[in-house]
Amino acid sequence: MGMQKELQAAIKAILPEVDCVIGWGSGPDPLHGAPLFMRSEDDANRFASGFFAVNNPALFLPEYKGKKVAVVVKGCDARSVGQLLSEGLIKREEVSLIGFPCQGVVDHDKVAAALGEKGEMGEVTAVLEEGDALVLTLRGETVRLNKADVTAEKCMRCQYPNAHIADTFVGEKREPVATADDFADLAVFEAMSLEERQAFWEKEMSRCIRCYACRNACPLCVCRDHCVATSRDPSWLTQADSVKDKLFFQVIHATHLAGRCTGCGECQRACPVGIPVLLLKRSLARSVEKLFAYRAGIDEGTPPLLTFTLEEPTIKERSW
Amino acid sequence: MSVLEGKELRIVGFLCNWCSYGGADTAGVGRFSQPTDLRIVRVPCSGRINPLFIMKALLSGADGVLVSGCHPRDCHYAEGNYYARRRLEVLKGLLPTLGIDPRRFEYTWVSASEGQRWQHVVDTFTQQVHTLGPAKRLPDAPELAALAARLEPLRN
Amino acid sequence: MRIGVFICHCGSNIGGTVDCKSVAEESYAFPDVVFSTDTMYACSEPGQQGIIDAIKEHNLSGVVVASCTPRMHEPTFRRAVERAGLNRYMFEMANIREHVSWIGKNKDANTNKAAELVRMAVSKLRLNRDLHSKSFPVTKRVLVIGGGVAGIQAALDCADAGLDVVLVEREPSIGGKMSKLDKTFPTVDCSSCILGPRMVDVAQHPNITLYAAAEVESVSGYVGNFEVTVRKKATYVDWDKCTGCGLCTEKCPSKKSFDRFNEGVGPTTAIIIPFPQAIPKKASITRDACRQFTKGKCGVCAKICPTGAINYEQQDELVSMKVGGIVAATGYDLMDWTVYEEYGAGRYPDVITSLQYERLLSASGPTGGHVKRPSDGKEPKNVVFIQCVGSRDVSIGRPYCSGFCCMYTAKQAILTKDHIPDSQSFVFYMDIRSPGKGYDEFTRRVQEEYGAQYIRGRVSLIYPKGDKLIVRGVDTLMGGQQVDVEADLVVLAVGGEATQGSPQLAEKLRISYDSYGFFMEGHPKLKPVETNTAGVFLAGSCQGLKDIPSSVAQGSAAAAKAIGLLSKDMLASDPQIAQVDMKRCVGCGKCIQVCPFKAIKEVDVRGQIKAEVIETVCQGCGLCNATCPQGAVQLSHFTDNQILAEVEALCRF
Repeated sequence: MGMQKELQAAIKAILPEVDCVIGWGSGPDPLHGAPLFMRSEDDANRFASGFFAVNNPALFLPEYKGKKVAVVVKGCDARSVGQLLSEGLIKREEVSLIGFPCQGVVDHDKVAAALGEKGEMGEVTAVLEEGDALVLTLRGETVRLNKADVTAEKCMRCQYPNAHIADTFVGEKREPVATADDFADLAVFEAMSLEERQAFWEKEMSRCIRCYACRNACPLCVCRDHCVATSRDPSWLTQADSVKDKLFFQVIHATHLAGRCTGCGECQRACPVGIPVLLLKRSLARSVEKLFAYRAGIDEGTPPLLTFTLEEPTIKERSW
Repeated sequence: MSVLEGKELRIVGFLCNWCSYGGADTAGVGRFSQPTDLRIVRVPCSGRINPLFIMKALLSGADGVLVSGCHPRDCHYAEGNYYARRRLEVLKGLLPTLGIDPRRFEYTWVSASEGQRWQHVVDTFTQQVHTLGPAKRLPDAPELAALAARLEPLRN
Repeated sequence: MRIGVFICHCGSNIGGTVDCKSVAEESYAFPDVVFSTDTMYACSEPGQQGIIDAIKEHNLSGVVVASCTPRMHEPTFRRAVERAGLNRYMFEMANIREHVSWIGKNKDANTNKAAELVRMAVSKLRLNRDLHSKSFPVTKRVLVIGGGVAGIQAALDCADAGLDVVLVEREPSIGGKMSKLDKTFPTVDCSSCILGPRMVDVAQHPNITLYAAAEVESVSGYVGNFEVTVRKKATYVDWDKCTGCGLCTEKCPSKKSFDRFNEGVGPTTAIIIPFPQAIPKKASITRDACRQFTKGKCGVCAKICPTGAINYEQQDELVSMKVGGIVAATGYDLMDWTVYEEYGAGRYPDVITSLQYERLLSASGPTGGHVKRPSDGKEPKNVVFIQCVGSRDVSIGRPYCSGFCCMYTAKQAILTKDHIPDSQSFVFYMDIRSPGKGYDEFTRRVQEEYGAQYIRGRVSLIYPKGDKLIVRGVDTLMGGQQVDVEADLVVLAVGGEATQGSPQLAEKLRISYDSYGFFMEGHPKLKPVETNTAGVFLAGSCQGLKDIPSSVAQGSAAAAKAIGLLSKDMLASDPQIAQVDMKRCVGCGKCIQVCPFKAIKEVDVRGQIKAEVIETVCQGCGLCNATCPQGAVQLSHFTDNQILAEVEALCRF
């Protein structure tokens, strides 16, 4: 718990300089953390980092434009901040970042699956972290889970566990989990034929309830109330409950994030019906990395789709 | 009014006004015969083409989409086609993930003088789409679509 | 909305392969169509009247004409609907000629396709809105880039029409390539005698401001109001003080400078007045050759100059101005012929270019008009001319004909005989290309009256033998026999290429250029001096190589276009431009970032940052529209909804 105390100290140190410090506190149950907006030392005492500090606090930064805020960031959160900065959506001088070496976060879907017959996540009354294990109490029994088995996919391929931009860095930087993104998740998906993939999306999207949680959780979806999904002029989508419209919305979301998405995975985590919506963005991120050697949030400079070069050596144009 | 059943496929073209639309005109003036499947939407510049127009067409039942603009360096607006090139290339990469054969979408450059080249492009692309056959249609929401059709007259 | 549809037969052009009547009947099924008919020639007077009558009779609020390409008659029909009281943008065209009837023979397929294109046009038209042009004042000043004969002609014509003219020339004097010529074909009249007075006119014309030794640095703005910055390069001579007396050039101790005007035939001084008739007649210092700059001491010219005009500290100067129209007349350069190993690649001093030969022939040239060959100063007796050096040669990437070489070679052969009566000229040629008034007669005269020997064939090798050069070629009219000619002097008819820096200038002007760097005209036949960028016109060889009469003609033509443009006090802006929905703009600035014209700016609306389109700067490309994630920027007449309506019209069935 040394890390937690150190972070709290860093938060308290910056509190007088900012409107608010954004981090995490405890959530509705022991398995869930939640965003925490700290304005006092008391608030800071409720700060909780660690395995359940899942939310990406970068989501809230554009709302604070014009005010000075500090934000506690995991490596992936820092990428989102980096991307917001490089697009000029937030100002560097208005944001102070507190970084720390992230050890990975939980994937609740995996926990639910691991619990299986043993019970629901809502029934968990206590959670203890013991080294590589999580010890859960539910229905009066203890269940030991291997942390590695319930860690989010993005953490399993994490190249940037230490916030790459930070004004204050607490703790020792840790080794990254991976040195490059092999997009193995896409490879699994792409083992399917084109027909199977189309059928896959048809089936997945038929579950979509058009709640737009994916969009609302995205730190880079800065259009907010003005999203084209619900506007009449322009009118890209009908409000019909059709797979076509629902899939098209996912395509719009992904396309608007091409060259911008940092892969934080909040969209997919937010989906109440468990549609793997991150896949589309991962596919675009792979193209963008391959074509323009650009990793959103990490590489500086203009995002690749807002600029060009006269010659594009990596784009193989069709000879006809 | 349906497509000539079994003979034609649905191919939508997006052409910039200054080069490629002119190239298609030049092909017409030269009487360079082409397959009849393609329907051309005229836009000022390939930079005007939001990749989502292409997705809209593909998800709405187009069997193929063809985009053509001015050759790099020749853009009437100096830079539009450079942006288009990046965006369209990225879009093409997304299609397989959606289960759409990327050969259903191509983009190219044809100048206003290249009538013959336009003929070749249309020939080749139409053939390519025919080889792939009709695209699989995504289901509409039938009951709502029917309702929408009934409400159509009220919209005005 | 009440839409009228008119299906044009265009005689049999469309009617031959499209069932126009049935397309017209089918059109009644499309939304909002209340009137539909077919017509023989929609663009004809009765055709247009028919549209106007129908608008009035059926109270139409929008019109679709299915006929030829909108690139042809869209303006015609827009004017027609306007005459009937509609806004000109309440009109759409379906291209059923170039895109249907002319490219397919299957009448069923064509008819079906035509009907779908009409449906698409109707779908878009339903979302059209009245658009109104704004008028804006124009700057009645023309920028002419390049002071060769084409630019001089354009500048004088514009100035005579009462326009202010700014003439920018890269070299220290205007005159261009023509000023280097001794005589001109086919009249063999003295080049400087006919060009000289024109150059003087430029200098003396009250409406012309001349910037020599200057280049266009940047261009922004748009038709009627371009903002141009010109870089006046440092000449190290204050031209306001310089009287052109030439004392400095006589006394300059550095005498080994490359003589650009004389094409390197003999050296010149570091401070020069390029040639006696130079306009402006002012001295300038070649920095690399000047001892004051290379050695740090000399100062002879500064000491001797009677007006104290020398200023070694002079810097480049930037001058900005507003102009309404631009004429590009930047001419050509000779291609670098030393790529030809077979001609010695520059190793033999007596193998020279045609332009160098002009300088040897010229009375004001370095040899005073006496033809002396470079190696030993002897008068040549056998002169061999080789044509098509760097023209019509695919192997070096110059497949085009330079157009003027056949004629100037004939002229040079005539002049050779005039200068050296006992000389013999030989001309190796591929074809003699001499279309033009009096041109073919001229090429016959050189052979028949002046005894020049024309050999049809290419030269494979030039090699030295003693103080001669052996020119080995083939005579294809003699059955491909090998021919060896002993030459005292070899003159290469070197072809032209786009002048250095053409692509860069094209990009500044936002005009297209072809793969050789020549500027693209608006239409190869119907818009030979316009470009696709409004307000920018072309004259002379920058558009494609041409001889003096054609360059002068094009100079006048470009001037006429510029004069026509600026004859109006106000120009109407195109209303097909981008507009920002302030309510929906989140101020992310992506549109500002991509706009190629800097036509969008950030504004502060009650504490919130928003984008705003500068209406007179926007060119209507729509890049911002495709970039804005929330679609808050919409390009009028090509909005998202309009294009989506077209897509839906095509994809719903």
